[in-house]
Amino acid sequence: MYAIEVKNVSKRYKTVQALDDVSFSANKGEVFGLIGPDGAGKTSMYRILCSLLLPDTGSAFVDGWDVVSQMREVRKRVGYMPGKFSLYQDLTVEENLMFFATLFGTTVDEGYDSIRAIYSQIERFKNRRAGALSGGMKQKLALSCALVHSPRVLFLDEPTTGVDPVSRKELWEMLLMLQERGITIMASTPYLDEVRCCGRVAFLDQGKIRGIGAPDEILEQFREVFMPGRPASVIPSLLPSPLSEGNSNLQDEGTNKPARNEAGRETTDPSRTGCMGDGSSVISVSHLVKAFGSFRAVDDISFTVQKGEIFGFLGANGAGKTTAMHILTGLSQPTSGTGKVVGYDIRTEYEQIKRHIGYMSQKFSLYEDLTVAENIHLFAGIYGMKKEEVERKMTELLRQLKFEEHKDDLVGCLPLGWKQKLAFSVSIFHEPGIVFLDEPTGGVDPATRHQFWELIYAAARRGITVFVTTHYMDEAEYCDRISIMVDGKIKAMGTPDELKKEYGQPDIDGVFTLLARQATRSSD
Amino acid sequence: MIGPLIRKEFLQIRRNAFLPRLIVLFPIIIMCVMPWVMQMEVKNIVVDVVDIDHTVASQRLIQRIAASNYFIFGGQRATYAEALKDIEKGKADIILEICDGRYLIAANAVNGTKGSLGSSYLSQIVAGSDEASYLEEKSWEGSVATLLLYNKHQNYKLFMIPALLAIVMMLMTGFMPTLNIVGEKEAGTIEQINVTPVAKWAFILAKLIPYWLIALFVISVCLLLAWLVYGITPAGHVGLIYLLAMLLAMFFSSLGLIISNYSDTMQQAILVMWFFVVCLLLLSGLFTPTRSMPDWAYATTYVNPMHYFIDGVRTVFIRGGGVVAVAHQLLALAAIGLVTGCWAVMSYRKNS
Repeated sequence: MYAIEVKNVSKRYKTVQALDDVSFSANKGEVFGLIGPDGAGKTSMYRILCSLLLPDTGSAFVDGWDVVSQMREVRKRVGYMPGKFSLYQDLTVEENLMFFATLFGTTVDEGYDSIRAIYSQIERFKNRRAGALSGGMKQKLALSCALVHSPRVLFLDEPTTGVDPVSRKELWEMLLMLQERGITIMASTPYLDEVRCCGRVAFLDQGKIRGIGAPDEILEQFREVFMPGRPASVIPSLLPSPLSEGNSNLQDEGTNKPARNEAGRETTDPSRTGCMGDGSSVISVSHLVKAFGSFRAVDDISFTVQKGEIFGFLGANGAGKTTAMHILTGLSQPTSGTGKVVGYDIRTEYEQIKRHIGYMSQKFSLYEDLTVAENIHLFAGIYGMKKEEVERKMTELLRQLKFEEHKDDLVGCLPLGWKQKLAFSVSIFHEPGIVFLDEPTGGVDPATRHQFWELIYAAARRGITVFVTTHYMDEAEYCDRISIMVDGKIKAMGTPDELKKEYGQPDIDGVFTLLARQATRSSD
Repeated sequence: MIGPLIRKEFLQIRRNAFLPRLIVLFPIIIMCVMPWVMQMEVKNIVVDVVDIDHTVASQRLIQRIAASNYFIFGGQRATYAEALKDIEKGKADIILEICDGRYLIAANAVNGTKGSLGSSYLSQIVAGSDEASYLEEKSWEGSVATLLLYNKHQNYKLFMIPALLAIVMMLMTGFMPTLNIVGEKEAGTIEQINVTPVAKWAFILAKLIPYWLIALFVISVCLLLAWLVYGITPAGHVGLIYLLAMLLAMFFSSLGLIISNYSDTMQQAILVMWFFVVCLLLLSGLFTPTRSMPDWAYATTYVNPMHYFIDGVRTVFIRGGGVVAVAHQLLALAAIGLVTGCWAVMSYRKNS
């Protein structure tokens, strides 16, 4: 008997065929990956299997029970973690867990054994409100809540979006532990290193299953989708390959580095422009502190970013990246410390700073109920650009993005990856000196991420400095310089090569894990 | 800079599946339904009669009660206790006992207005039927003359329509802005706006202007309907009514934005606005005369823009007062509106 069996399932929403004759099955105790680009129908599939959505045709069985006719039985046996955090932000860790235990007619004590390994890691925070937890801890709690009733099958819909690499590793270690206990797991993820952790994966695209097999086979078969540009290899990677096969089952995926013009590199490589004077630094801050009560979110950081540089600002969830970025963009005031961005003081001249920067926030930053063109007109208008100039640049931009036919589409209807590309283009539409990107590629599929980085490189070539935070360590390798922030402090800074050498790690992922793990210990 | 922002607000309102319909339907429903419903007159009072006398006079009295517009004859009961049971069951509102040529009127005063108005109507009828007191009444009537001013026919609709204008304005221009900024907070777009060089006043003004235009539209629909449906037109200058309404809109849209600025979630914003709306409405004198309030409550009407608006609009609409008659209200509304407007700009923070 299969743990999950799907037979010819189709689902249609008005004009969209979400699932088209999908069939697959997963064995008991298997970790089965469901992967595919945004809007491929993954979430619809999860909802059908959890008996939340009825299929139009076909049938599906979970642990031997029909999801349509025997949904009560199915619901007793599944744990579901939807893509967005499924916790009550206002309840404490313990209250959340108790609530979910009660829902399934069990108690925390009864279910404690099945969650011990995971819950014990967050148990010391049991009186903290879920909303105040870091991303990684939220995911552990959500997983505990999904596991408290000892489900037979666990469904995880992109559980690691927006989660830092160390927490991702921990989460997957737990999943593999659950697998040993015979729990069947079906997970989807945009991270290729996580795909490698699955036993088998199904590649879903436009509602159809394109292939099922071992992760490496599927990744190889559809490499154009997952690792675009690699065979064409416009320009060989400028950095030594970050891949060193087999040292960990969770190594970072080397999506091929997007093409970058050598000429652009010339002016931006800090190792070659080290002699540049102070005049060319776009950001320079010293001893910056932001405290909320006794909690120091940003704790005495100092750094400079040169003109034209791509600066990667890394850190675990809750390390203080977003807070620091808010200070630099004039959204909040530092508690102490000084700094200049594009030549203006961050304490006093923040409105001037705003005139000369671009920003793309963590949450989606365009108006979803306006069309593509209307959004561009709005933001260009705010920066006081002339009508004719806006029209001309917009036509050019839409042509570059191949967006012409979507000019009058509502932004809310576009796939996530497109939205992010558009949001980035809008944030640099007024030609700012520097653009701040706060996790711009969270939850975006690899192919789109690749295109996104091509846009970043194009902007850098035009002389726009890029300040970017990300949880994708392969993206960190694309940066000219990176800093790694831990518990509000900058623990390491330099070019990716320098850091790898300094810490004796094969890739940035290794460096990051090393530093972030240290911090976890010290902060406990 | 403000042009694209205003355009954006209008596009967003238009794209909303619900708001455009609400803006059109809301004033129509309020104006077409509420004037019929909001009546302070008491009608259809059920009267039980306990007639112990059984005289010709008492029979005539019963006929007069049954014939009255205000009363429904509930039937005759043998004893007072029996009739009281009817009241307890809710079948009757008033008992009239006739015994030895004397009358006892017992009214259910759970609803005070209904009880007191009903019993006083009934006493008039009783007094009128009694021969002796009938004459007395006559002579009394001769010495006192009543002259009703402005609303000669005591048309309750004429009194209520200005009040309905106030309610429509309050709900339309108060709640929509309340959801606006906090909605941008929830969507995350506010952060994007905050890192742009847009000026605070421009951002707030761009949000207020659409609501003012909506207010203009709504008030026009209301006035038009009052004329078409009820044949009621303002006695005073229409321009003054518009002026009063726009000042009120300025206050409420600013208040909405202030609440929106301080709130983190839509839920919180809407509940806070609800609190203000109910308080302002009940303390405004829309339903009850402000002068009969206790002094401390009356004191609050000095800062209640709804009170000034209702005072002003009734003066213009019913009495036909001119600028001088409502100058006080206009000034007060403008001052309150200006203060809240500035507050709305100041409470919007681009930098924390």
